Amino acid sequence: MYVIVVYDVEEKRVAKVLKFLRRYLHWVQNSVFEGELTEGKFKEMQAGLRKHIKPEKDSVLFYKMRSDKDFEKEVMGLEKAGTETML
Amino acid sequence: MKRPYYIMSSGRLRRKQNTVYFEPVTPAESRLQPGNDNAEGDLHPRDAGIDEELLAGFTEETEADPITGRVQRKPIPVEDIEAFYCFGELDFNTKFFNFLSQQKIALHLFNYYGHYSGSYVPREYLPSGFTLVEQVRAYLDTHRRLLIAREFIEAASFNILKNLQYYSNPSRGSIEKLIDFSTAIREIETLRAAIPRTDTTNELMGLEGNIRERYYRCWGEILGQDFALDKRVKHPPNNAINALVSFANGLVYATVLSEIYHTHLDPTVSYLHGPGERRFSLALDISEIFKPILADKMIFKLVNNKQIQEKHFRKELNFCYLEESGRKIVLQEYDERLKTTIKHRSLGRNVSYRQLIRLEAYKLVSHLLSGEEYKAFRAWW
Repeated sequence: MYVIVVYDVEEKRVAKVLKFLRRYLHWVQNSVFEGELTEGKFKEMQAGLRKHIKPEKDSVLFYKMRSDKDFEKEVMGLEKAGTETML
Repeated sequence: MKRPYYIMSSGRLRRKQNTVYFEPVTPAESRLQPGNDNAEGDLHPRDAGIDEELLAGFTEETEADPITGRVQRKPIPVEDIEAFYCFGELDFNTKFFNFLSQQKIALHLFNYYGHYSGSYVPREYLPSGFTLVEQVRAYLDTHRRLLIAREFIEAASFNILKNLQYYSNPSRGSIEKLIDFSTAIREIETLRAAIPRTDTTNELMGLEGNIRERYYRCWGEILGQDFALDKRVKHPPNNAINALVSFANGLVYATVLSEIYHTHLDPTVSYLHGPGERRFSLALDISEIFKPILADKMIFKLVNNKQIQEKHFRKELNFCYLEESGRKIVLQEYDERLKTTIKHRSLGRNVSYRQLIRLEAYKLVSHLLSGEEYKAFRAWW
């Protein structure tokens, strides 16, 4: 599945969440990650993330799509980073 | 589904924050190195995540760009990496390789000319004594070895025929061309008929060579005379089309090796090719089946759609190799092909070409372990 993760966490935890998510998904702009994951990897990521946030203060959103063909992405202004595999 | 990563630019791959970072060298640095084109500017991935790190009071120990003050680096999600294919001038360290081993990621290196030069394959992570014993047992048994080897060639030549049949469609050319193709098809079929009668693998390899030679003679008709393949020349390739074939075959080999790595099979014990060829020869064996589908068809498409042209090759002293721009085009197409799915007949679901290679390895395992008949992959479309 294709996942977009958007997070709003307290400043002192931002770096932790950022570092953690980089292992699973592509950073596209501040507080936004996206990429392809399997169901299992998604669960694994959620479980790991739970350890880094405080549920009473932070909020993380997961947009799940069956594939990257199920939506269209448009960019206005800068495209800060992509998910390309050719570097 | 994990994806392969192709590193075209030069720089350093390193482990950082439990994931992989690619740090391209700044254009000023890269200009000093040979083999680097100046047209590298836009290949540099834009800096990612720095703002958030500043926010979090994060310090960065890598050198920053003297002009912008930003570090040009790109984190790659480690969970998304299937394998690395490196074409640029890269630096690694042991920490990085240890990390690759831990994450079970293979890394394939291609030299300055784009030829496959080697792989870093992490320590076997699915070692299976039983499979190895059976693999070797089947190798030692001349009869069984020959059965498997024949099946590789049967399937490979079948897929070659499929390619020719596709191009001999009446809608794609003149009558002379069609006649030429139908004689080629007939000749190859005659050669194929001799496969079950072969007694040694050398004989089989000879037969395969004849089939390929006849097949390559048709390429002029498929690709137009500019790209005709008169003779397959390797080490080094002597013209554009040979360079392209070498490059594509190298890719297929690396992909097959990556897939074998994820099975119980030992890639050094092979059946068609001798196991002493200093390569992971089982990958060579299995590549034979997929070369016509993955490499050859891709080449036909790239050349016929004029995506790859004379200008993508550099001719120096009769030595022809792909320019970086050309390599990029081929890689993009190759990546697309691997992702292409087909409806698998017996599984009844969609399977990508990459998974098809893995399935092929599984079939071989089940043949070795349970004696189930090994039927190599044949294109049915």
